[in-house]
Amino acid sequence: MKSMNSKLIKELPELVSNKVISVAVSEKIAEYYARKTDQSPNKLMVIFGVLGSILIGLGIILMVAHNWDDMAKSIKTMFAFIPLLIGQLAVGYSIIKKKSAVWKESSGTFLFFAVGSSMALISQIYNIPGNFSSYLLTWVLLCVPLVYLLKSNALWVLNLVFISYYACEYGFGSQHMPLWYVVILLGLLPFYISKIKKDNASNLVGVISWLLPLSLIITLGAFIKTEWESLPYLYLLLFSTIYLLGNLPFLANRQLRKNGYLVLGSIGTIVMLLLFSFKWIWKESIININPSSEELIIGLVLFLISAVTFKCSWKKIKKEGFNLFLYIMALFPVLCLIGTTSIITAVIGVNIVLFVLGLITIKKGIDQYHFGISNYGLLILSSLIICRFFDTNISFVFKGMLFVLIGAGFFVVNYLMLKRNIKK
Amino acid sequence: MKTRHIFLIFIGLSLIQLFVPFQMISSKESVLRNGVPYKFKTRPVDPTDPFRGKYITLNYELCTAKTNDTLWSRNDDIYIKLQTDSLGFAKVEEVSRSEFKNSDDFVRGTVAWGGSKDGTVNFNLEFNRYYMEESKAYDAEVAAIESVRDSLPNNDTYAVVYIKEGNAVLSDVIINEMSIKDYVEK
Repeated sequence: MKSMNSKLIKELPELVSNKVISVAVSEKIAEYYARKTDQSPNKLMVIFGVLGSILIGLGIILMVAHNWDDMAKSIKTMFAFIPLLIGQLAVGYSIIKKKSAVWKESSGTFLFFAVGSSMALISQIYNIPGNFSSYLLTWVLLCVPLVYLLKSNALWVLNLVFISYYACEYGFGSQHMPLWYVVILLGLLPFYISKIKKDNASNLVGVISWLLPLSLIITLGAFIKTEWESLPYLYLLLFSTIYLLGNLPFLANRQLRKNGYLVLGSIGTIVMLLLFSFKWIWKESIININPSSEELIIGLVLFLISAVTFKCSWKKIKKEGFNLFLYIMALFPVLCLIGTTSIITAVIGVNIVLFVLGLITIKKGIDQYHFGISNYGLLILSSLIICRFFDTNISFVFKGMLFVLIGAGFFVVNYLMLKRNIKK
Repeated sequence: MKTRHIFLIFIGLSLIQLFVPFQMISSKESVLRNGVPYKFKTRPVDPTDPFRGKYITLNYELCTAKTNDTLWSRNDDIYIKLQTDSLGFAKVEEVSRSEFKNSDDFVRGTVAWGGSKDGTVNFNLEFNRYYMEESKAYDAEVAAIESVRDSLPNNDTYAVVYIKEGNAVLSDVIINEMSIKDYVEK
């Protein structure tokens, strides 16, 4: 776009000399584009500004972490406040002077790290024993409002990363539930929703569509406090919920690389189903499973989100036809119920579901002329076959033939699609 | 929202951001000025915190107490009332599940394990981190080990902790009657 503008501006003298436009009009056009360039937020500047602030902030924290024994306590205390005050002044200035996004993003990021370094230094001076998770939580709580005051994308991402870090620190290996993670995540959501409404195609929405599900996937384990048995069930529910979220009308029409929900949800669902396609996991878990009330609540919340998401996407789902991925959330509990009476029936059911998912994905890939999707379908089928390689008593000759067939399938499908593409 | 309102909210947030470190300082300073110093025999090891740097973790000798309560379970809060022994080191007077109303000289800890049949409870004390310059933390650990191994006279390694109304501030770690910071430079 920018090169088009400069091309147009370069041609202005020629247009004037050929009397296509007047000198006055030419000046007006030049002035218009000059003003437009000034006003448009320079994305590169924002990125460099934020990166610079992150590096400076982390640099200060690392210098603080050296623990300067030779400095007097009063000087150390002063140093604890200097970055904080500089950050606050910079943020205050960018608010009051209505400075550009570059200023707001950079000063906000710097202040974020200044808050952390200030608390770190005081913890050192007074040997405050407070554990790492409470330090992270206080840090994030002091910085979450900045997201809304500065309308800062970088701060949104930083807060999400640090609150996920907190959830892992606090929840894993302890009996504590990182409930503050949920509270802060809910506090961050309105900003994300407003971004989707305003500028759904923006890079930030794309980046968050990967970071948010990743955060949920990583932190789910921090909420599980009993034995491991309920974990795979909850993860399968989470992955299918994430897939449903990625299928929401305003997210689904994005490119795959900008829809992390769909990619992570789909891969996660397949991996978990592959796990459930083995008899041993049912034997180990379904008999011993005794979910706590918290785990039941997590399961119910996931169901609720899925139901609402499904309802919101219903028109799109009807239009696009049958996609088994969308029904895993409803299908899997039925398989679990069957599993309580007959494990072998449930295992066969999961294998059939995986087989159908593979076929549907291949068909979708062929219909859309998408090599990636069709090969993903073939990958699902071959993974299923590889898994069965380990736990069935079929002969090596038959297993070998299956592998040859699936390998040939890869060639045939890709060849046919390439041929159709060329014809088109 | 108008810029003025945003700015006013930001001023409020800034004050809270300043208040938190100020509050951390003032509460600790109050204990250091008005608290009672206790000596806790200890042994240091050196781990790292990604943001706050190197520190030595102090494993205190004072970590068990007699109790009639057999229902203690891991991570329960425990309050330890202190007194000093004949050599001037801290020792347990009694333990409780709640704060002591009649004494200022108690500290809070968490139960490591307890409720055993022999009538004891094991606990961890809160003030077990002593931050050191990154080059000195490992040397401090080695110095403490050597001090114990060499059986030098006055080889006690102990932490000086100020205590006031259940709040504790770890002030220094002493090896052979010298601050650990100076000892490792020797």
